[in-house]
Formats: sequence, C-alpha cells, structure tokens
Amino acid sequence: MTGLSLEPELSRAGRIRSRMHISRSALNLALGAVGVLWLVPTISLALISLRPEGLFDQSGWWSVLTAPAQLTLHNYSALFSQGFAAGGLLDSTLTSLVITVPATLLVTALASLAAYSLVFGNWRGRDVAFLATVGLIVVPLQVALIPVVELYRSVGSLTGYNPFGTFIGVIIFHVGFGLPFGIFLMRNFYVGIPRDLVEAARIEGAREWTLFRRVVVPLGLPAAAALAVFQFIWVWNDLLVALIFLGGNPHQTLTLFLFDQTRSLAADYWIISTGAMVSIVIPLGVFFAFQRHFVRGLLAGAVK
Amino acid sequence: MSSVTLEGLTKQYQGDVLALDHLSLQIADGEFMCLVGPSGCGKTTALRMICGLEEISAGIVRIGDRIVNDLAARDRDIALVFQSYALYPHMTVFKNMSFGLELRKRPRAEINAAVAEAARMLDLEPLLERKPGQLSGGQRQRVALGRALVRHPSAFLMDEPLSNLDAKLRVQTRAEIARLHRRLGTTMIYVTHDQIEAMTMADRIAVINLGVLEQVGTPRELYEEPRNQFVAGFIGSPAMNFMQLDVADATERSEHMRLLGGGIEMQTDDDQAARLRSSGLKRVLLGVRPEHLALGSTTDYGLVISARVDVVEFLGNGTSIHARAGEEDLLATIDASKPPAVGDAVVLSAPPPHIHLFDPESGLSLDQPSPRPLHTVR
Repeated sequence: MTGLSLEPELSRAGRIRSRMHISRSALNLALGAVGVLWLVPTISLALISLRPEGLFDQSGWWSVLTAPAQLTLHNYSALFSQGFAAGGLLDSTLTSLVITVPATLLVTALASLAAYSLVFGNWRGRDVAFLATVGLIVVPLQVALIPVVELYRSVGSLTGYNPFGTFIGVIIFHVGFGLPFGIFLMRNFYVGIPRDLVEAARIEGAREWTLFRRVVVPLGLPAAAALAVFQFIWVWNDLLVALIFLGGNPHQTLTLFLFDQTRSLAADYWIISTGAMVSIVIPLGVFFAFQRHFVRGLLAGAVK
Repeated sequence: MSSVTLEGLTKQYQGDVLALDHLSLQIADGEFMCLVGPSGCGKTTALRMICGLEEISAGIVRIGDRIVNDLAARDRDIALVFQSYALYPHMTVFKNMSFGLELRKRPRAEINAAVAEAARMLDLEPLLERKPGQLSGGQRQRVALGRALVRHPSAFLMDEPLSNLDAKLRVQTRAEIARLHRRLGTTMIYVTHDQIEAMTMADRIAVINLGVLEQVGTPRELYEEPRNQFVAGFIGSPAMNFMQLDVADATERSEHMRLLGGGIEMQTDDDQAARLRSSGLKRVLLGVRPEHLALGSTTDYGLVISARVDVVEFLGNGTSIHARAGEEDLLATIDASKPPAVGDAVVLSAPPPHIHLFDPESGLSLDQPSPRPLHTVR
C-alpha cells in the first residue's frame, strides 16, 4: 500500500514488458524472413521480365543486384505494341477479363439470392436442397467436361446457337461450378444474421426484395467479398476449361496465351515472364480492393 | 390507436406441442397490458402471433375492428421492440429510426420531423449519426424504442425489452416506458417474465403458465385476489409462503374454524369458515405473503406460527427472516428495529384478511367462487 512496495512491482512489470518486447521483435523477424522466402519466386519473375531477352542465358536474375542498369521495360513495350491483335498479350488479358468478371459477378449474385431463400425463405425442403447443393461441391469438374460439351451441342442443334467455343459457354460452365461452393459459403454466413433483424424489417414494412437488398446484402458483404475474390482468382487461373471450351476461338485467355509459349525444346522466357507478371497484377489488384472485407469475412463469427 | 382482441388464440407446433391454448384477452384502446409468466409459458408466442411473425394455429387476432389473421406483419400497423433490440448494425441511428417510414414512402420532411421528435423524447439527438456498435446498451434500447415510436403505430408490442439492461438502468427505463405510455396513450402489450416489471407498469396483467391464461386483472387484483396457487406464488416479491394444514374441526358448527399444522395454527373468520365448510376439504393449502407476517401474536383470529429463526437478512428498509415451523420453511419480511437472532424461537402472525386458502388438489383459491371480494386491511 506504500510507495516502497509499489516500486518493485513496477520494475517487475517493466522487466516482463521488455522480455515481451524481445520475443515480439524475434517474432517479427521470423515473420519477415518467411515473407521474403515466399516472395522470392515472384520477385525473380518480376526481375526476369525486366531484363533483356539476350541476357537470360548468360546470367541469373540476381545479377540485377550488382548491375541494376540492365533493367528495361523493353519486353513490356514489345508485347504491348502488338495492341489488341487476336492471340496477343493484351487481347488475351481482355479475354480473361471478359470471362472472369461476369462469371464472378454472376456467382456472387446468384449465390447470395439462393442463400437468402435457403435461410429466410419459407418453403418446404430447404434443408434437403441445401444438403444437395453441398454434395455438388465434391463433384470433380473433369467429370462434367464431356457431358457439357454434348449438352452444348444438343442446345446448338435445338436452338441454332451452340455455346461451345464461345465466351458465354465458358462463363456458364464456370458459374455452374462456382455456385455450389458460393451458395454454401453465403448460406452459412446468412445463417449467422440474427433472425430478429429480418423480422424487425418485416414488421417495419420490408418486402422480400427490400429485405434482401437493404438488410441482408449489406450485412453479408464480407462473405460476398470473400466469395468474389475466391471466384475471381479461380476463374482467372483456369486453364482446363478454357482449353476445352474455347477450342477454335481466335481469342484466348491469359492462361492459354502463356501455355502457348511453352514448347518442348525451347520457350520464350521473356514472353512467359512478362505475360505471367501481367496475369499476376490483375488478381492482386482485385484482392487488395476487397482485402478489407475479405479479412473481415474470414474473421466473421470469430470476433464479435 | 386501437384495441387488440384475442379470441381462442392457439399455437400448436408439430408433434402436438401446445405452446398456447385458447388464449382469450381483450386489450382496450390505450391500455398497458403485460403478459407475464415463467419462460416457455407461451407469452412470447402470443406476442409473435399478434405481430404476424408466427402462424396462428387456431383463433382470431383482432386489431381495432379488423381481423388481422391473414395480414402480413407489415400491414398490421404495429411496432415491436425486441429483446435483442434488433437494430440494423450497418445503419446510423437516424437511418435505423427512419427506415420504416422510408419503406412506407413518406415524404422526406415528415420523416425528418418524426425522427427529430422521437430523438428529442428519448434524448437521442447527439447520437443520430452513430452506428449501433458505438452505443451503450441503454442507448441501443432507446433507439429501439425510438424506431417503434416514429411510425405512430396503433399498438406497441414489447418483448422483454429491459432484460438486457443492468439493474439500475432497468428501473430507470421502466419509468421511462411508463411515462412514454402515459404521454402517447397508445395501446401497449408488454411481455416479461419479471413480475415486478409487470406490477409497476401495467394497467392490467395477464398471467400465463404452460400456455394457459391463469388470471387477468389489475396489479392490485392479482396481488390481493389471486385465483389460484400459481398466480399467488408468481405475483409478489418475495414469493408467497404456502403451508398445508389440516382442517381441525370441520364438522363443528362454530362460527370459526381451526386449521392445524406442526407449530402452525389458524383461526378463520366467518367468511373463510363458510367457504371451507362448503368445500368439504379435510386439508387445505394456506398462503400468506412474507410482508404480511408480523412478529408476535397480534390478533385473536388469524394465523399464528411458532417457528425457529434460520437466517436473518438485513435489507436496510426491512429485515427478512427465514424461519422453520415443523416441516415448513417460511419467509417473513418484518420492519423490526430489534430483529430476532438466529436460533431464536419466534411467533409470527397474520390477520385473516391476509390469508389465502387454496384447494391443495386443484390449486384453486377457495375465495374465488364467492362473489364478494376478499376485504383487505388498508
């Protein structure tokens, strides 16, 4: 109760704090090291894309550290100067976007609507429908390739429009395979929205559509953002579906573009590294744009 | 503003669970009605059926002169305050309050005026731009009230709105709700498990137990003339003492009758004797409230208990005594400057008007069939 007994207390607290300080900086150091380790491939790829083509066989990318003058944007300007010619880098980037953006938006919107109905709807068999949807998550995509090609063909012979080889065909395929997981994610998030909120809005005069738009969607934003990021990256990185369903289309996705540069004996590494950098930048931008919501979506429920 | 009438309101869940069994209740225009009962008694189910949040298995809900059974919740012109407050976390306090009016497409100016008025009434003006996450429990509660207020509904329904507040704030908000009701004069249906809330605020109380309406009446009626043992035990704090006594001289033609139990003796008055005789009971359940027991034998008639003091609790404005008489544990709240000590033998007594007699089998009050209300000492 006196200053005498307080002082040792304080110094002990100080000691504990300084010990915590040391262990904390050690932790930061370790985390930093892990971060650098993970970034090395990306950094090397970036440096390779910034070095002249001719140097590739002569020295490693790390020689940049001693001779920074070799860095040049020549590779980029060479690829960009082709403009939007079919099969070029810019055209492929545009194709990837034209497929990925609608596929992402459609999956997020449709999954949100389906989840709303599964959680707040009032129809029999909701649980069975949800379980069936969850079951679809485990269906491997490869199983559906041939049946869907056949399906597209019969749609074509019936209506005169065969989605095979078109962007729409690829988008439909991605939406179909994105929905089960999307519905699963959104439904599990919506289940956590207090029923009272929805009932309060109902009493206040909200009909289903208003309820969905004004109450449920804003509250489900973290989950929707997480789903959008997942779906965007998944579709953006897809090679298999594009390879099969864009057959015969002069426009190709970025993954197909990169795939075309690899050959059995030699490869244009300058094109691959530059193209790969372009294909990294866009999903990275999407991730950072949604990161705030995304992280909150992952933490949702854990911290209240 | 309008009356609310329930006729044979019944809720049956799958598997034959009767949550509410033919509840009939008339709530007058402007009345403050409390539905009170232990948790799971069906009072919240009743409220939710009035709101339109729960399907009605059988019976009729009338608001004003409209039967609203088939109306959606939004068309019933009522407002509900939830136990959890149910504020929209992504909207500001202003938005929370104006949301309902916006959905009803009211003009901007009217919305702003209504919100401003409610905010002034509830001291929410400095908080209008905050979000619910930035408010304290009491503030959230007031926003929930404000949200109900702005729409000027024909009835307010409240589902345990105070149970998430701490004790001090609860007392304060209780008074605030009572004041609001007086000022607005709107019909109010208030659900609570806390009989003190019901006693302090309600014009009338409906006591519900196991889905059945036990009694409806003013707080005073329920306190003084409980119809059965459940109501007697549920209303009043601390709860009523009950003891089983033998009817000693049931055949004797004297004016009074004597009831006996271990260390407990009761000399009835004429009324009670008459009722006991007509009931033909050999054993009777006697109830007396702790606050009606006094130290010492004060009357010739009435209840006299010889007991041993078990626990003495000093409360400041009185003293609680837990005492043991034969098999029975009793509680007496006495105003004694010199309370007895633990272990003392004491005599506790109460006059006949404060004694309630019940049929031990059915739990029904013996006072009930008599048309004359039990007179009380006032």
